[in-house]
Amino acid sequence: MSPRAFSSEVDPGSRKENASRQRARAPFRSNRNGKGSNRSPRVSGHALLLIAAAPVLLFLLLPSLIIVPMALSKSQMIQFPPEWISLHSFSDYLGDRQWVDSTLLSFQVTITAVLIGAVTGGGAAIALHGRSFAGKGVLVGLIMMPIVIPVVVLALGDYLLFAQLRLLGGWVPIAIAHGVLATPYVFISAQTSLTSELNPALVRSARSLGARPCSVLYHVYWPAIRPGVLAGSMLGFAVSFDEVVLALFLQGASAVTLPVRTFSAIQYELTPKIAASASLFLALALVALALQALAARKTGRLS
Amino acid sequence: MRGLWKSYGQGTHQGAYVVRDVSFALRRGEFLTLLGPSGSGKTTSLMMVAGFETPTRGEILVDGHDIASQPPEKRNFGVVFQGYALFPHKTVLENVEFGLRMKGVPSVTRRRQALDMLDKVGLADFTARKPRELSGGQQQRVALARALVFEPDALLLDEPLSALDRKLRESLQSEIKEIQKRFGISILFVTHDQDEAMMMSDRIAVMAEGRIVQIGSPSDVYLHPATPFVAGFLGETNLVPGTYRGTEHGHAVVAFKDAALGCARLPADGRKLTAGDAVLVSVRPERVRLLTDKAEPNFVGHVTDCTFLGRHTRYRVQALGQAFAVSVTEWSPAAALSLGTPVRLNWAAEDAQILSEPDDALAPPLEIIR
Repeated sequence: MSPRAFSSEVDPGSRKENASRQRARAPFRSNRNGKGSNRSPRVSGHALLLIAAAPVLLFLLLPSLIIVPMALSKSQMIQFPPEWISLHSFSDYLGDRQWVDSTLLSFQVTITAVLIGAVTGGGAAIALHGRSFAGKGVLVGLIMMPIVIPVVVLALGDYLLFAQLRLLGGWVPIAIAHGVLATPYVFISAQTSLTSELNPALVRSARSLGARPCSVLYHVYWPAIRPGVLAGSMLGFAVSFDEVVLALFLQGASAVTLPVRTFSAIQYELTPKIAASASLFLALALVALALQALAARKTGRLS
Repeated sequence: MRGLWKSYGQGTHQGAYVVRDVSFALRRGEFLTLLGPSGSGKTTSLMMVAGFETPTRGEILVDGHDIASQPPEKRNFGVVFQGYALFPHKTVLENVEFGLRMKGVPSVTRRRQALDMLDKVGLADFTARKPRELSGGQQQRVALARALVFEPDALLLDEPLSALDRKLRESLQSEIKEIQKRFGISILFVTHDQDEAMMMSDRIAVMAEGRIVQIGSPSDVYLHPATPFVAGFLGETNLVPGTYRGTEHGHAVVAFKDAALGCARLPADGRKLTAGDAVLVSVRPERVRLLTDKAEPNFVGHVTDCTFLGRHTRYRVQALGQAFAVSVTEWSPAAALSLGTPVRLNWAAEDAQILSEPDDALAPPLEIIR
């Protein structure tokens, strides 16, 4: 088989099996009228790639996809394959006070965390942009640490800190801890965005026209950093919503996030409610992805 | 009321003096260019005027007030940077309005003023476009409109045309010049391109190593350079060493190699010479005459090279112990001189200039008043 066949048309990283199949089909279509002889090496190369990629993609998708049929099962126990299709698990889930509270709490925590992360990460990116000084590397390292440090270490530290400050028990410590976790993602994203989008002469331009620091921030920095902050925030949202360890350590009687509740339910109460909530959030993630793709296409930029 | 403003600056940049004792005055409506090679301190000087660099010593005076301590946003200058630095996410109209907006002008008024200005520069139909949709020339006009709309005291331009190709550069040069004449604005321009400086300026300040070496009109600086650097930087020149013999009819008499005598203008800085002083005389190639008859004085030599360059023909003539570059504009195959032809050279006293050696001590810049 010719190595030439591994063209850039097929995207091996795509999670959507259909999408990659579709893109791979394009050369098939366009080659119908062409000379078959010199196109065939490429054709069979594509087929080979599909054969290799399909099982991998299936393996990656299966854990997510299996949830949905389980949520639609009629029985009171989670089982696969499900017996009857029914939506009762969804109504159970939405009717359970505790589960709904947890869902709302999770949103509350995550949105706050994203805001904290956006302001902190974005602010850091702007402040450090274009400046070099002794110790800058250390500072950047510090900002990036939440990604590198094992979450358990962070969780333990946060627990001890908030216990000392007598702040444990509410959703606020979780939001703060998640904000710290989200900051490096926004920072990297914002920094990249700033470096590529911001022309240093623009700041001087604005100043020469009479712009004070606030105006410079709003008119020059914000448009340049906006895509990076948004992209980083979405990543931060995903990280925070999903997060179990910190939320577990810092939980309180009224501060149980959705992942934590799911986690304990798995151990003690194996109902399809779990599958229902998981399905809903799979749908949410798909919608978010679709929106992001639409937005990226609109601005003409690949995020 | 805009009047004379003077600037005296000595700047330091990371320990080493990048700008030393630079003083010049920009008169109202004047086009003054800071010309020099990279590292000469010209951009730093401009940045000090704009407010992005702080002078270590010195003052920047506008109408008698020292503005050296004011941040750039408080100063009343319009700045055009290399690449124009138009706000990419704003439309042309919003770009031009920006300065007025920062001043707090209400939106109706500033819209009207901005549209007015855009109309004057011929971009009335482009108000809703984004900068990336414009050509280079259009972008420049937007940049100028943006800088002019709030009626600044002066325009500062930092090598705006350096990155462009020749044809575009020349047409944009005339546009800038035209806009300057139309609005009567004072312009401080920075460039390393001597043709550009000569074409656009009312006065040129030649800078090297952080100092202004000479200030004068383009013809002054070209025809009567003060130092070997200036002579060499603006166009080509012949530097001929000789000995000062005395003054005759207001011009210096200089003895060159083999006791041949020639004339030259006295040094531009008014320095007094005594007989026997070693001097360097600068003569531009186009001012050296190839003699057909025996006029005095004359120097004997022979042709070593001949190159046809379209606009002129360049000969290399070996005379007075060195290679002279001689530039001749008439060309005909019959009159072309072949290699080895013996020729006689001379020049008018007015066309030769005795140069001064640059001093390391802080000497005041040479300003030639005409």
